[in-house]
Amino acid sequence: MRPPDSATIFDVQRFSLHDGPGIRTTVFFKGCPLRCAWCQNPESLGPHPEMAFFADRCRDTRACAAACPRDAVSARGDRIRRDRCDACGACEPACPHRALERVGREVPLDALLAEILRDRSFYESSGGGVTLSGGEPTFQMSAMGALAQRCRSEGVPVLLQTCGAFRFDAFAPHLRSFDRIFFDLKLMDPERHRRFTRADNPVILENARLLTASGAPVTFRMPIVPGITDDLDNLSAAAAFLREIGASSLHLLRYHRMGEAKLARLGYPLAPLAMGAGDVGRAVARAAALLAECGIEVAV
Amino acid sequence: MIPPTTARAPNGSPRDPRDALVVSERLRALHEEVLHAPRRLCAERARLVTRYFRAADAHPGKPMITKKGEALAYVLRNKRVAIHPRELLVGTFTSHRVGGGLFPELHGLMMLEDLGRFRTRSTNPIEVSREEARALRREVFPYWLTRFLVLRAMPFPQAVRFSLDQLAPTFYLINEGAGVSHFVPNYRALLERGTEAFRREAEARRAVAPPDSDTAAFWGAVEEVCRALEAFAAAYRGRALELAAVEPSPERRRELHEIAAVCERVPKHPAATFREGLQSILFAQIALNLESLDNSVSPGRLDQILWPLYRNDLATGRLDRARAFELLGCFAVKLSELVPVFSRRITRFHGGMFNGQVVVVGGTDERGDDATNELSHLFVALMDRLRTRQPNYHARLHEGSPPEFRAEVAEVLARGSASPALYNDEIVVPNLVARGIAPADARDYANVGCVEPVAAGKSFLSTDAALFNLPLCFELALNRGRRFGHWRRVGADTPPAERCASSDELFVLFLAQLRRAVTRLLREIRAIERANARFHPTPLTSMLVEGCLEAGRDATWGGARYNGSGIQGVGAGEVGDGFAAIEEVVFRRKAATLAEVVAACRRNFSGDDALRARLRNAPKYGNDDRAADGFVARVMEAFAQTLAGHTNARGGEYAAGFYSVTAHQAFGALVGALPSGRSKGRPFASGISPASGMDRKGPTAMLQSVASLPLRVAKNGANLNLMLPPWTLSGGEGPARLQALVAGGFRAGVMQLQVNVIDRDLLIEARDHPGRHPGLLVRVSGYSAYFDDLSPEMKQELIERTCAPLGT
Ligand code: SF4
Ligand code: SF4
Repeated sequence: MRPPDSATIFDVQRFSLHDGPGIRTTVFFKGCPLRCAWCQNPESLGPHPEMAFFADRCRDTRACAAACPRDAVSARGDRIRRDRCDACGACEPACPHRALERVGREVPLDALLAEILRDRSFYESSGGGVTLSGGEPTFQMSAMGALAQRCRSEGVPVLLQTCGAFRFDAFAPHLRSFDRIFFDLKLMDPERHRRFTRADNPVILENARLLTASGAPVTFRMPIVPGITDDLDNLSAAAAFLREIGASSLHLLRYHRMGEAKLARLGYPLAPLAMGAGDVGRAVARAAALLAECGIEVAV
Repeated sequence: MIPPTTARAPNGSPRDPRDALVVSERLRALHEEVLHAPRRLCAERARLVTRYFRAADAHPGKPMITKKGEALAYVLRNKRVAIHPRELLVGTFTSHRVGGGLFPELHGLMMLEDLGRFRTRSTNPIEVSREEARALRREVFPYWLTRFLVLRAMPFPQAVRFSLDQLAPTFYLINEGAGVSHFVPNYRALLERGTEAFRREAEARRAVAPPDSDTAAFWGAVEEVCRALEAFAAAYRGRALELAAVEPSPERRRELHEIAAVCERVPKHPAATFREGLQSILFAQIALNLESLDNSVSPGRLDQILWPLYRNDLATGRLDRARAFELLGCFAVKLSELVPVFSRRITRFHGGMFNGQVVVVGGTDERGDDATNELSHLFVALMDRLRTRQPNYHARLHEGSPPEFRAEVAEVLARGSASPALYNDEIVVPNLVARGIAPADARDYANVGCVEPVAAGKSFLSTDAALFNLPLCFELALNRGRRFGHWRRVGADTPPAERCASSDELFVLFLAQLRRAVTRLLREIRAIERANARFHPTPLTSMLVEGCLEAGRDATWGGARYNGSGIQGVGAGEVGDGFAAIEEVVFRRKAATLAEVVAACRRNFSGDDALRARLRNAPKYGNDDRAADGFVARVMEAFAQTLAGHTNARGGEYAAGFYSVTAHQAFGALVGALPSGRSKGRPFASGISPASGMDRKGPTAMLQSVASLPLRVAKNGANLNLMLPPWTLSGGEGPARLQALVAGGFRAGVMQLQVNVIDRDLLIEARDHPGRHPGLLVRVSGYSAYFDDLSPEMKQELIERTCAPLGT
């Protein structure tokens, strides 16, 4: 099969400092098989482009309504009637205030690579590189693989962030393109995993096992969402699992509430989790102590 | 967190070997005194110069160069001599602890209008004693009213028109009417030879020259200023001995005897020790600031110049690092005792109480090998720990710069020090070579004033000759040579912009306006150059610029090895952004016509919110967008091209620079709304920085944009402010990240940058409560200034420039 020549991307962020070592460019792939209740990038979930509406920028000029061929712009509230809108994007340039943004675009890999290479001098000076994130990059497996391979052959280090929900046999051929894989574990109990992410975890855990066994450079991570992932059962089960597959460390991620503002923009029904910043900090500290007791090296 | 902004806490990490370098009690006290001393206008120089020239009028046949030499000698011999408690290096620029002089023979009359309000004005108040004000009004100004430089440069009506225009410059500000100054003296030669050797050389040359020739007069003037400098040092020796005689503390008594011993040797003799080296330079620095304008006499590469003396002193045990550090600190405090006395009008262009005394550290030697040494490190530690207003510190970096040096610089900057500004040798050196400077001299470059690179000790490049308002030409191009809302045509009568069918056609109109304004500028500046040669030659300056002494030609006559003038294009980014917006909104998207855009600009966008938003949202310079960056590049090329091929009165070329001091603000206030979406009166961006808040893709994209510019045409330098919010550099990785950012930017081709890691909230607090952070040193535009010394507009601009966190 010919490798694809484009990917559906919802953002490319340069000077990215928190997605791996050094100064990086992070490419956000659109589409994800999971629906985590705490998702920080709701615009990444659907596989297709969709329209985001920034209510704070809108000055009520109605230029969008005039531009819309489907009469999908309402006068009030969310502005976009999701049932009619097909994300054709015609309203985006019509809006003078950038209040409408088409999230997700088909980007030719050539263009993507060119943009990534723009900051090559900074990767070299900082030990950085490119991070493929999402969404879930493996959701567009062959485009992801092709991009990773091309970055790699340009000498740009590639890091993958994945939720682990992929077919291992499809992933295996791309394994060697990655300098590091950040693999996110969430919930160990299958039932709770399904409840909070609407996906099964056995395939994820199996992939974790296979990747570790293959000797791939994997770093396991876990988001600490108070009340969901930070209970004793989940943490000790995670520790046991890691020891069993021969991994010794876990990187804890702090849950941010940034995603909640985005939910409204896209008209998503996911419920905001009510919690304060202090809660998260305490939960992370507690989880770190607990995991350390179970013999796991913890990084925050 | 923002570190302490004064030097109160030495804040190196505990493992830092430089921790031996603490700010001594003496140093801290001297710094505090100078920081808190009131700034005073000093009439001493103006009065002495006037007294000399009144008397000299009795000898009408005397050549001007002779008179200038004698006038400086008269000042040096009659100046007040003061040694302050605790000082190790001595000599004062003015008769006050902190102050500045007036130059009535140059532009001093322009300050006259502020004489009554220097004390009470809100920005940069300057104390003026009643006695000094009276003396200026009665003795000084009446004499010069008919003799100041511009009046002598042009026929009377033209001079009046020019002077009035320069009081409120719209097209350009010609600084050279205030003398040339702006150079790096050959302090290496001064330390190696001493004034006595220079004097002897001049004498020997004069002996074989035709007696009444200009050259003979020039050499005679050099001899005169050398003798006066020696007398100046002798007066300090005498004063030190007097003080020692009545000094109760044995320790201070010993110090005063040391001072006397040093002053006995230098500047007359070659400097034999590190301390003598610094003292010799300080005396010369004072005399040079009294001779011509007290601005941008830049000491240059002191880590190189002082290195042999330092090494020798260490080897003989005469000196240790801590003592060297203290002496360097004393030197920095001394340079901070000088402040410019500018009227409010001039302050708008040259804000921040800044004199541009650049000290450069790091870089390569003449062969291109790394020359960073231990003194470079001492200076970097000093910048961090003693945040003085002056000198203006620069660090040179090249491929072979030691990693420790890069790391150290990054650490200091990440901690919030505004200094040093960073220079990329890999770009600067080839630029100088392209200007006709020998490679070895180019590799030994140092910077002048704000950012201007010159071959140190060999150049007379009038680097700050003029500042030019580029966006005004754009406004005129949009409106047939008239400013919006004005009836009078001040530019070229170009066809209506509305008829242009492409941005290329519009660019042609811009070029026509640009050419016309530049032609006028060059005509006027040449008259000023000739007047400088006739009426304001500078024998001491010339002695310290290689070429002049041999040739018997003053630097203002073209005696220097390298000649030229630097003219700064201000607002290139603004013009480029305007073209980019027109290209996008009018010609690509066809969301508006050019006529609509021009009409909206004319109305200052009132009622044009949607169109203005479209223009503002169009691609902008600073986002690594090749189309937008390309327009800025075209503007820069066009400006440089317009200057190219013209020769100044000293036989050098006019080189384009792209730094703005604070003129981006002053010029911005005069220019109407523009197609970038900028509204009327708003400041332009500083130097080649992107417009405030318009670099939305973060610092790497911004640096790539800058690197894509034709920096080779910025032969006179350019300044870029890299404002980083503190969070990007927080944590243990901060300094390494900054180092990587600089290294990556330089590798991509950025020529110069200055980092300002500033917390917006702190700036807002400092704005709202003047005096609460007196030591808050910020990077303005190629130089640092105390935040409190900035005008309200500049403060506001700086706050806006401090970008919000990325990704919002
Ligand atoms: S065009 Fe933009 S500003 Fe106008 S109503 Fe639509 S979203 Fe709001
Ligand atoms: S994206 Fe297309 S269908 Fe949806 S609101 Fe905009 S113009 Fe209408």
